[in-house]
Amino acid sequence: MLPLSLLKTAQNHPMLVELKNGETYNGNLVSCDNWMNINLKDVICTSRDGDKFWRMPECYIRGSTIKYLRLPDEVIDLVKEEVIARGRGRGESRGRGGPGRGRGVPGRGGFGGRGRGGPPGRGGGHMGPGRGGMKKKQ
Amino acid sequence: MTSPGAAQLFDELDKKLMVYLRDGRTLIGYLRSVDQFANLVLHRTIERIHVGKRYGDIDRGVFVIRGENVVLLGEIDEVKEENTPLEQVSIEEILEAQRIEQERRQEQEQLRARFMKERGLQYTAEIGPDDMY
Repeated sequence: MLPLSLLKTAQNHPMLVELKNGETYNGNLVSCDNWMNINLKDVICTSRDGDKFWRMPECYIRGSTIKYLRLPDEVIDLVKEEVIARGRGRGESRGRGGPGRGRGVPGRGGFGGRGRGGPPGRGGGHMGPGRGGMKKKQ
Repeated sequence: MTSPGAAQLFDELDKKLMVYLRDGRTLIGYLRSVDQFANLVLHRTIERIHVGKRYGDIDRGVFVIRGENVVLLGEIDEVKEENTPLEQVSIEEILEAQRIEQERRQEQEQLRARFMKERGLQYTAEIGPDDMY
């Protein structure tokens, strides 16, 4: 799953955003877009040296000013489930996960495929509608 | 992008990587996701602080790093990791060492600025703590 999709999945979760100037913003993600612009609510802003604090009900951060975001661990598990659900929903089957067909094939985009050591899905798991339909191996 | 012999970030997925950021931070974690801007998703990340021959690790969890802030990244060789000449210390100790190091560096900068000023020359630090590149 792409990094920005992970962010979309993390909506309503708490997170820490560090800007390029070193300020940190702690809050819950309301929304995000393709440019990584984000909306946070119940925000606590901490200055670079950790000595000044501000509290605000909501804030908007322009994507280009972000250095990184830290998310809670549970978001990764949420993503894995979503990838599995999506795989099942599209009804794709590559004949690989023979016995596991009913469960869906969680080997794409790098998530959930750890134990198998299989090749990561190119393009981060978005297989595109062009492929669709069941491929039956006779 | 897919020319023969070209390194791809996709090949590094699910590997344990060391990522070095423009602000000088070193992060080590498992690469879970990449996109066309080289934005990264790191899982089970630790921030490693180095001062001299000592280092300390801080657990950080999941990182979504904006690609433009990355200087370089490289795969961690687990075998070599076990045989480093570096000494691992506690978080408190390394943070203290880092603080002392930063103070020393600031003093040097101030000395430099004063030195230049006394000679009638302007000195502005070209690199700052935010972006060392």
